[in-house]
Amino acid sequence: MGRFIARRTVASAISLAFLVMAVFFLSRLTGDPTDLYLPLDASQEVRDNFRELNGLNDPILLQFAYYLGDMARLDFGTSLRSAEPALAVVLQAFQWTLVLALVTMAFVTVAAVILGSLAAFNVGGVLDRVATFFSLIGASAPDFWLAIVAIVIFSVNFGWLPTSGTGSIWHWILPVSVLFIRPFGLILQVVRGSMINALGSAYVKTARAKGVAPQPIIFTHALRNAMLPVVTVMGDQAAGMLNGAVIVETIFGFPGVGKLMIDSILQRDFAVILAAIMVTAVAIFIMNLLIDLAYALLDPRIRY
Amino acid sequence: MTIAPRSKPVIRRLLCCAAVGIGLTTSAPAQAQDDRAITIALNEDLDLIDPCMAAQSNIGRVLLQNISETLTELNPADGSLTPRLATEWQEGGDGTWTFKLRDGVTFSDGTEFTAADVVHSINRTTSDQLICETGAKYFGGLDITAEALDDHTVSITADPAQPILPLLMSTLTIVPEETPMDEYTRNPIGTGPYVLSEWNVGQNLILDRRDDYWGETPEVTRATYVFRSDDAVRAAMVQTGEADIAPLISEIDATNEATDFSYPNSETTYLRIDTMTAPLDDLRVRKALNLAVDREAFLGTLLPADTQLATQIVVPTTAGTNESLVPPAFDPDQALQLLEEARADGVPVDTEIVLIGRTGLFANVTEVMEALTQMFEDVGFNVDLQMMDVAQWTEYYSKPFPDDGKPRIVAAMHDNNRGDPVFSMYFKYACGGLQSATCNEDLDAMIAQATEATGDERNELWSQTFQKVQEELVADVLLFHMVGFSRVAERLDFRPSIATNSELELAEIKFD
Repeated sequence: MGRFIARRTVASAISLAFLVMAVFFLSRLTGDPTDLYLPLDASQEVRDNFRELNGLNDPILLQFAYYLGDMARLDFGTSLRSAEPALAVVLQAFQWTLVLALVTMAFVTVAAVILGSLAAFNVGGVLDRVATFFSLIGASAPDFWLAIVAIVIFSVNFGWLPTSGTGSIWHWILPVSVLFIRPFGLILQVVRGSMINALGSAYVKTARAKGVAPQPIIFTHALRNAMLPVVTVMGDQAAGMLNGAVIVETIFGFPGVGKLMIDSILQRDFAVILAAIMVTAVAIFIMNLLIDLAYALLDPRIRY
Repeated sequence: MTIAPRSKPVIRRLLCCAAVGIGLTTSAPAQAQDDRAITIALNEDLDLIDPCMAAQSNIGRVLLQNISETLTELNPADGSLTPRLATEWQEGGDGTWTFKLRDGVTFSDGTEFTAADVVHSINRTTSDQLICETGAKYFGGLDITAEALDDHTVSITADPAQPILPLLMSTLTIVPEETPMDEYTRNPIGTGPYVLSEWNVGQNLILDRRDDYWGETPEVTRATYVFRSDDAVRAAMVQTGEADIAPLISEIDATNEATDFSYPNSETTYLRIDTMTAPLDDLRVRKALNLAVDREAFLGTLLPADTQLATQIVVPTTAGTNESLVPPAFDPDQALQLLEEARADGVPVDTEIVLIGRTGLFANVTEVMEALTQMFEDVGFNVDLQMMDVAQWTEYYSKPFPDDGKPRIVAAMHDNNRGDPVFSMYFKYACGGLQSATCNEDLDAMIAQATEATGDERNELWSQTFQKVQEELVADVLLFHMVGFSRVAERLDFRPSIATNSELELAEIKFD
């Protein structure tokens, strides 16, 4: 196990190094940020001074060398927009995204696994039809539309929930609900399909023949075997959320890392772009590692 | 059948929880209405709140005259200057002005406001150790020196001399002399009626009223600024009572006459013509471009009905505007005739002209640019429309321009809310202007003369300059003076104005 984790860490570090290099050079190909930060009427002298103060006059290879040197000391540079350390800016935003992703995925997992399993147990039944119908709608509905409609209905028309923001637990209900719908629809379908296979297997038939009650058959025997593909899809969905739920963050005014990344790309805030990519890449690496470990836990045949 | 009886308590519990939730949440907006605290929904988060960055719209809306004050104050309605931290000022010749400072003023940290703070503020804003928006926008190319004559008198010298130095001082925010020269402050200290109490980055920013303010006590006790990118959400926040003012909403959301207001936002849209490249170097061709545009057709369709047709590059409230100028008529026949005359004289009127638009410049900009392209092509121009993002667009808007000999027209929007054409005319029309695509020695002389003049003479000279640019040189296709939309809660007595584009003075907000 220890060797497996070490191997994965080294492999991920190599990928990360290439990612940083690619992002560093590609982001600089998008152009000089000077014009975006200064008023249009700023004189050439001010422009030159801006470039000098921010190290933009140096040759790009020299800028990269400085960047690597700083990164070795865990200094990811300073944000052009906020004049704050880029890593601090990113970590502040990432904590919001992390909580949003964890809460949403927790609800998605519980709801999709229970409903998907029950739907699979009685294929073609009322629950199966209803769950399939709504999960397909959920998986197909665009986030931005759902978000705006949810605000209009629950905030503006009924006045039940705040439109946006982060002040209280009530502020989380709409963003989590909107984020919930798409992965819920997708994972429910995967659970259902996987459970139908598992419930059709010989050991389940044997359990039924021996008179085991439905609940242990579903949740003890079949579900564990059906979870491998489900865990894979859940990991994929969670990775998407860790990269930031841009639309939900934008509409609901959530100060997460997705919106931060988009704004930083548009403003060519290079230090923040790189720090954000590093932080999300590390988070996704840790999550993938946990998924691999979950495989071993679910299926004793898998050994690292 | 066995499920149904069990499910009933569950549903009851859910409904009960929902009811409790609803009860709790409906009380939340009621808190926002409490007392004389207000909430303002801005369209983007603030990255900095340094007073020297107050020339940026949203930073200005939070800081200007709320936390940080200026020596003088511009009344955008009539262009007049009123005293703020300076009580009087006088020109002493050679570009030097003397300002008498208000006595008994303290900063929010308790220190006394003196001339040394003014000297430090000027040095900091124009320093090359820090990129200050105010310095870059208003003091570029000027050598400004300040000297404290005594605790409450300061002498300020500009080279070249600036007859509008008192007006320039309406842009310069005053900070205590302890404010660092080489880094942005995240705790702005000012002499204004409010103090920054809390800044939760990405979430909100709270200003509280000071008890020891030198001036009249404002009615608003606390202002909470929140940040929402989506226009519809900001509008909904005011509608639901979560916010009291959304300074910027889209026209589509401005549907309630009781709360939604349009206001001239000091922006003027125009097409800058590259007058030095054929065929655009021919006056007849430039006139034909102007005659080809049906400006009225845009109003109430792609642009708000309140939008005004522009006759000069600054809004009509600016000093020295020329009231005799009228928008060019829409006359495609005459445009066609002018083009034919030019063609007969060997002007290459069929050359492809690149029309450069900027995405996100204003609502419906792409549709407006497409319509303009069609209007030009209808009279015989060969136009290639290219929409660009701001970084690409700037390469064509500001010098040095690409040197490939292609004739270009650049769509732009210019904001001059400072009340004087000097902030526009040199940059846009002088040979050395950073965004000027025209060069005329007579015009340069007129701009220089108007820049140095004062009073009525200054206004008259600017008026003549506008006339020369539009009627003799036809340096651009002027389009519209734009409007913005705000939503203001009914409990407030506040009407947005042209100043709302750059500042939002809390002291002006009253309660019904």
